[in-house]
Amino acid sequence: MAHLGAAADGPADSRASRIGVFVCHCGGNISDVVDVERVAAEAARMPGVVLATAHPFVCSDPGQALIEEKIRELELDRVVVAACSPTLHQTTFRRTVDRAGLNQYLFEHVNVREQVSWVVEDREAATRKASRLVRAAAARASHLVPLERRRIPIQPSALVIGGGVAGLVAARDLARRGMKVTLVENRPFLGGRMAQLHTLFPTGENARDLLAGLIQETAREPRIRVLTGAHVIGSEGVVGDFRTRVRLEPRGVDEHLTYPGNAIAACPEETINEFDFALSRRKAIYMAYPGCYPPMPAVDWRSCTRCGKCLAAVGGKGIDLEGEPREIELHTGVIVLATGYDPYEPLYGEYGYGIFPQVLTLQQLIRLLDPEGPSGGRLPGNGAGPGRVAFIHCVGARQVDGVNAPGPDGKVRDYCARTCCTGALHAALELKERYPRARMTSFYQDIRTYGRFHEEYYERAAEKGVLFVRYDPNHPPRVERDRGDHSPLVVRAKDLLTGGLELEVPADLVVLATGVVPHDISELISMYRCAVGYDSFLLEVHPKLRPVELAVSGVFLAGCCQGPMDITEACAAASAAASKAAAMIAQGQVEMDPFVSRVDEALCTGCQTCLTVCPYEAITRDVARRVSRVSDALCTGCGTCVASCPSNAIQQCGFTDAQVISEVDTLLAPEPAHELVLAQGGS
Amino acid sequence: MAEAAPQPVATKGEAAPASWEPRIVAFLCYWCSYTGADAAGTARLKYPPNVDIIRVMCSGRIDPELVTAAFARGADGVMVCGCHIGDCHYIAGNHKTMARMPLVARTLVQLGIDHGRFVHEWVSAAEGDKFAALVERITRQVRRLGPLDWPRRMRERGVPGGRGLGPWGEP
Repeated sequence: MAHLGAAADGPADSRASRIGVFVCHCGGNISDVVDVERVAAEAARMPGVVLATAHPFVCSDPGQALIEEKIRELELDRVVVAACSPTLHQTTFRRTVDRAGLNQYLFEHVNVREQVSWVVEDREAATRKASRLVRAAAARASHLVPLERRRIPIQPSALVIGGGVAGLVAARDLARRGMKVTLVENRPFLGGRMAQLHTLFPTGENARDLLAGLIQETAREPRIRVLTGAHVIGSEGVVGDFRTRVRLEPRGVDEHLTYPGNAIAACPEETINEFDFALSRRKAIYMAYPGCYPPMPAVDWRSCTRCGKCLAAVGGKGIDLEGEPREIELHTGVIVLATGYDPYEPLYGEYGYGIFPQVLTLQQLIRLLDPEGPSGGRLPGNGAGPGRVAFIHCVGARQVDGVNAPGPDGKVRDYCARTCCTGALHAALELKERYPRARMTSFYQDIRTYGRFHEEYYERAAEKGVLFVRYDPNHPPRVERDRGDHSPLVVRAKDLLTGGLELEVPADLVVLATGVVPHDISELISMYRCAVGYDSFLLEVHPKLRPVELAVSGVFLAGCCQGPMDITEACAAASAAASKAAAMIAQGQVEMDPFVSRVDEALCTGCQTCLTVCPYEAITRDVARRVSRVSDALCTGCGTCVASCPSNAIQQCGFTDAQVISEVDTLLAPEPAHELVLAQGGS
Repeated sequence: MAEAAPQPVATKGEAAPASWEPRIVAFLCYWCSYTGADAAGTARLKYPPNVDIIRVMCSGRIDPELVTAAFARGADGVMVCGCHIGDCHYIAGNHKTMARMPLVARTLVQLGIDHGRFVHEWVSAAEGDKFAALVERITRQVRRLGPLDWPRRMRERGVPGGRGLGPWGEP
């Protein structure tokens, strides 16, 4: 322990401090269990404490006024408030002391409600615990030093990554607030996953009509620059000035192309059309969908052989097959991630997928139902439509470890994908409308038509005769070839609603209502150092209070990169991200907690251990001085480097060793009542 | 402390004074575990009053020497909690905790501190019940083991440190 020696701010400071302690009754929430007067009295005997008092509601206006008054009257230079959790009122009291002219980081918050009065029943034990914590805070307070919040100027511009519905909404909203926006989409066309849908729940509107309107709104905005075929390949800088390197794939086509249809028809190369989930094939020069934006074809360089037939078909103008990718650098103040999702791709053989041609995913069914889709809106067969359709819900969602096979990342998808229940019922109703004689069975775990007006789909489906079979997630249904000749397939399941009856349901078509997995953005995740949840979606700062912000300041989340959402929710999230980003820009600067790490150059031996542990690469080596140096702008204040430094050369502002140890010391010191006994015994 | 290592230190079976109450220090990260402890309070779960919480921004800040320092200053038990792996607010601060704390646990045993006195667990912001159960567990274990009183042991062995010295062992 001895070598843990020097702390950045020694106890010398404590002798000068004038500490005020305020203990809150919280209207009985605390004082019913804790003897707050005794806590205050015991705190008053701590060195440096010049005032210790209790108040019914310290957070109330009179309570805050009392703090301000006492700071001025008694020239307090440290304030301790013992009240509720700091997550509730720490900011409140920091502002209070700030108003009284005291640095807000000379304030110490003690939690004696959530962590004392609400969890301890015995009055004596609770009072002693509260007293220990308050005295420890007083000891810590004497080690506090004034800190300044970090302020970083911010450019009024934004980068939106992802050109799906969430990215489009975010870009449009930001531009309308006067920000310059660059929207990058790595595919050659805007629209994302929404373009692959046909009609939308709960309004029944056409997805691409709605999207076309939104794209027009976005593209018309003079402040928005749209880059398609653009891949983010590198990022430097921090909030206020992100410098993003983007690689632009050549489109191969420019606005001089007059007859795109001729060029596409002339192309001899064909490849799988991922837009139709492999249900159709497309040419190497192609338009993703009718009415797509930008309204001109693009060349798929992976399948193009540069034969030049398209060029010949259009008279040699408007197509350039020799283009090279180029790199540009974008400078923006903030970043919005709208990278979206991928539908879960069932494994080979999962519910017969890939084995039986009659097994489709819900996304494939939607493509087939789309009059502009690969089959012109007709299902395969003789035109009479499928006689019996089985829907299986929760494919690649709400999976059970040990029952369902894990994905390539070794994890099962155990979360609810939230959109597939309503989506599947929506498709079932559409199918029923087109083919009224179709008999449909829905195999489900729980029907989660949770959204506003979504429950109607369930009710209508039940009315229209869709049969619901509830299966046990531990015994999912099995799709097998029918031994008889009633239908090509049979679905076997145990129906929980009839007490576990084994059902055999013949099916001409099996539709897998597949879940939602995040689009693979592992490069962006490491580039922006995003936090990722156990479900592999991006993790917000706080699910309730800061739902669209990443912990990395200046990076915001829009849409399904954060978790499964329907279009309504994705648009709400995108608008929220845009307004958060705009609010940050409007302030002209960003403020951050000052809990950064500091290197004491005199102690640093230059071993560079801290460089290896910092998750934000905020520490660099000063080669000339052979020491480590922390970038204030990059440091997020986790303190990992402090714990790893073998020379104790790094201290975290606000959490120095001396501050933490002073707390430990006081918590473990003899309690006041014991002190009395010991003193008598010793003399 | 090398010279003290060969002789095992008895930490069990000492007669505890009737008034003795276990003193346990818990280091909690602010984002998950501290909020988890708050959640226990919000749910009005009851748990023993022996665990005093010290918050840090990330469990990655918890220097192994903070754990030993707590024991050296008279703690009967120490608890370390952070966000579950994958949920760290600072991407991977808890990965360092995950690497450090098992070593701390082994070192403590070598120093003669029963493994029951040290608890390292992940507690999410929603796991108030888990936090309360952990407090129950460590309090029960430490109560069974009796007082540790390392400051006195260190004094008897002439090891510098413990109370009566400055915060870092210096006189």
